[in-house]
Amino acid sequence: MTLGAPAALWGLAALPLLVVLYLLRVRRRDQPVSSILLWQRSAPALAAFRPSRRIERSLLLALQLFALAAMVVGLARPAVLGRAVAGRDVVLVLDASLSMRARDVAPTRFERARAEALAVARRLEPGQRAAVILAAPHPVVLASLTTDRGTVAAALRHAEPWDAAGDVDAAVTLAGAMAGSAADSRVFVWTDAARGAPPAAAGVIYHVLGTAADNAGIVAFRVLTDAVRPEALVRVANWSRGVRRIPLDVHLGDATVYHATLAVPAGGTATAVFPVRDAGVLHAHIVTHDVLPEDDDATALVASSPLGSVLLVGRGNPPLERALRVLPVARAVETATVDPAAWSAFDVVILDRIDPGPLPPGNYLVIGAVPPNLPATASGVAARPEIAAWDRQDPVLRFVDLRDVRIDRALQLAVEGGRVLVAGATPLVWEYTGRGVRAIVLGFALGDSDLPQHAAFPILIRNMLAWLSGAVDHVTIGDEVQVPAGAATAGSLTDPLGRRVDVRATDGAFVLPPFTRAGLYRFSTAAGTRTFAAEIGAPHAGMIRPGRAPAPLSAAGPAAGTVLVHVPLWPWLLLVGIAALLGEWALATRRRGGDA
Amino acid sequence: MDRTGADHGAQLFDPEFLQRLETLSLVSRRLVRGQQRGERRSLVRGRGIEFDDYRAYQAGDDYRYIDWNIVSRLDRVFVKLFSEEEDLDVHLLLDTSASMAAGAPSKLALGKRVAAAIGYIGLCNFDRVGVTAFASGQGPSLARLRGRARAFDLLRFLDGLEPAGRTDLEHALTRRLGASGRRGLLVVISDLLNPRGYSAALLHARHHRFQTFLVHILADEEIAPQLAGDLRLIDVETGRALELTVDADALRAYVGARDAYFRDLETFCFRHGIDYVRTTSSVPADVLVLRYLRQGGLVR
Repeated sequence: MTLGAPAALWGLAALPLLVVLYLLRVRRRDQPVSSILLWQRSAPALAAFRPSRRIERSLLLALQLFALAAMVVGLARPAVLGRAVAGRDVVLVLDASLSMRARDVAPTRFERARAEALAVARRLEPGQRAAVILAAPHPVVLASLTTDRGTVAAALRHAEPWDAAGDVDAAVTLAGAMAGSAADSRVFVWTDAARGAPPAAAGVIYHVLGTAADNAGIVAFRVLTDAVRPEALVRVANWSRGVRRIPLDVHLGDATVYHATLAVPAGGTATAVFPVRDAGVLHAHIVTHDVLPEDDDATALVASSPLGSVLLVGRGNPPLERALRVLPVARAVETATVDPAAWSAFDVVILDRIDPGPLPPGNYLVIGAVPPNLPATASGVAARPEIAAWDRQDPVLRFVDLRDVRIDRALQLAVEGGRVLVAGATPLVWEYTGRGVRAIVLGFALGDSDLPQHAAFPILIRNMLAWLSGAVDHVTIGDEVQVPAGAATAGSLTDPLGRRVDVRATDGAFVLPPFTRAGLYRFSTAAGTRTFAAEIGAPHAGMIRPGRAPAPLSAAGPAAGTVLVHVPLWPWLLLVGIAALLGEWALATRRRGGDA
Repeated sequence: MDRTGADHGAQLFDPEFLQRLETLSLVSRRLVRGQQRGERRSLVRGRGIEFDDYRAYQAGDDYRYIDWNIVSRLDRVFVKLFSEEEDLDVHLLLDTSASMAAGAPSKLALGKRVAAAIGYIGLCNFDRVGVTAFASGQGPSLARLRGRARAFDLLRFLDGLEPAGRTDLEHALTRRLGASGRRGLLVVISDLLNPRGYSAALLHARHHRFQTFLVHILADEEIAPQLAGDLRLIDVETGRALELTVDADALRAYVGARDAYFRDLETFCFRHGIDYVRTTSSVPADVLVLRYLRQGGLVR
């Protein structure tokens, strides 16, 4: 402890003076009594006769002495050496991965990280700026650089882990960019480094959390509606050191639809595939008894009709109309009127050789045309393009054989992004997801090819509709989900924990907040409620074996994040002194017959 | 204006109380030797009517006292002895020191009423009653009275007493008992708040073979002081001051000293055959006389 003005301690000499004043100021009231005989006889046992004893028992005097001493010592400006956070700018990065929810560190790795980050935030000096970044699948800035400690603390308190693998590298890179302008900036990262060592960088201090390594969890749970009949797929991963036999139960409501015990090899996965018949919410559960129970449950949706409702907009296409009558679509409507406002009522809209203008958010199969708001342009016509390759593994082309298909002419497409599913001299089938639109563009009209005459045609149409109509119901944590708004302007999203968030439509679509928890989300608008099954964001999100922090690039070592500073004590001493005086005053005014 | 004896009697007692006092008599546990025939047994055997003992006939004995029944049975001559009934000397010693002014009503007021009651009982029973007021020295005294007609003198005397001076029981007793030629009943009425103590004085009375009865009167505030805070206690008799802070601990210490004082006093009286009654000034005089003094054996 240091004293800024030690001379002020001479003021302590006033303490004996106060005691003397205390003794002198006693004003005794004269009280005639018939005799002091008995009072004198009680004197040996009466402590009140001894002045020293009386002083000792006086709480008021003790409070006065304490207040005076506290103020005098406060005037000497004492200070203690304490640790403060180094650097002018400080960025706090919290790994929000699923593995940070492991309970091997009480209460969880993430909660421990939050507590330590709050402790760092409390040690910030006035004028120091701090920011908070959440290392989610995409880095999320919870608080930009600010000198307001309350903002930083609030951001830390509101942070929560995601059921996904956090991108610590990107978060650290972003943090470095935010703090890069100051040479003495510091980045504090709390992570378990379970999916690899984070990058070493100057000024970055890692705090690695976690002790446990064994975990097993569900990494995939989907209903495959693109199969001949709906099938559910459950994949369980085992990151433990040995083989584990893991019981798996799948329920539809209260009914068990599947039960098995999976033998999952160490570091491997086991998959269970079984048919499902009834529509509803499937719930899968495995029994693992490990420190991360969050990945022991998963949810999937079985739609009542796997292909949803379809609107065919065009001037007539008999092969396509015949296919829609055969395929298990929920509802099929044909129209020649181009009315985008009515399209939001259908799961999939097929635009057959018409120019629809900009597509509103929704799911589209566009045949022989390119909407202007998709990142693709048609620059003429390609004559007799050969089908050179197609992705047989893609769900859209599963069981589709295009070897003998002849195309007379097709649009000369130039695409940016998306995926070309069937390629020739020009992209012939192209899929795109973005801007609220999920679309498959068929670069040729059906009448300009012999595709309708092949067995692949109904299968391709079915796969396309399945992919377009069913894809949105299963989302992955971290994905951006857009829902066509139609006539609705506002909606509310309820997460698996029952928390509600209001969402307003923008440009004809609802851009939903990022899904952070695996489970069922319900989005409600005036038009109805739509349910989404969110699954864990990455197959390796459940890896919990803590890694190692990279060696610090600066020479300061692990303590580089803190510096020694003088913490002034005098404000506290003055406050304590004033409080003691107030207490003495309150006590003195309440005490009847006291010696205040 | 001089008040009549009836006025004084009315001030100290109500007529009904006086009437009840007339039915009482003072109890002397010892046979007394009086000067005139009275209404209690004397050490002198002779002309009384109360049988006392037998003894063998001696020459000169009055034939009338020979018990002929014994002569016929034992064939020996015995004469009956009778106690002479004589009067009792009652000495009332009333403390009139300044400390007796304490209490509500004052200790002196109660003391005067007790003295008047005892004296009145004695006068009604043809005892000789003398009253002495004392403080630091012997104060005014009243000569030995006899007969109910002197009751007004007694009451007038008591009514004129005022509290003043310091308590000196030993000095007062020495003077009073020294002046008395006869033993008898000594009733001391005092608060005994005497810095010099009480034992020497009471032992002095015992030495003179007085049957001593001690009426100890205290004020309520002396039993349980209602004091608090920083005080300078001033003794009204001595003028001495005592500075102390009266809090719960101080009051507890006072109670301890008070109880020890009472315990010592009771032990002393028991050991030396002194009858002792303690009361506070708030106890009515009639209750004190008719109940407590009767229970204490002073009156019956």
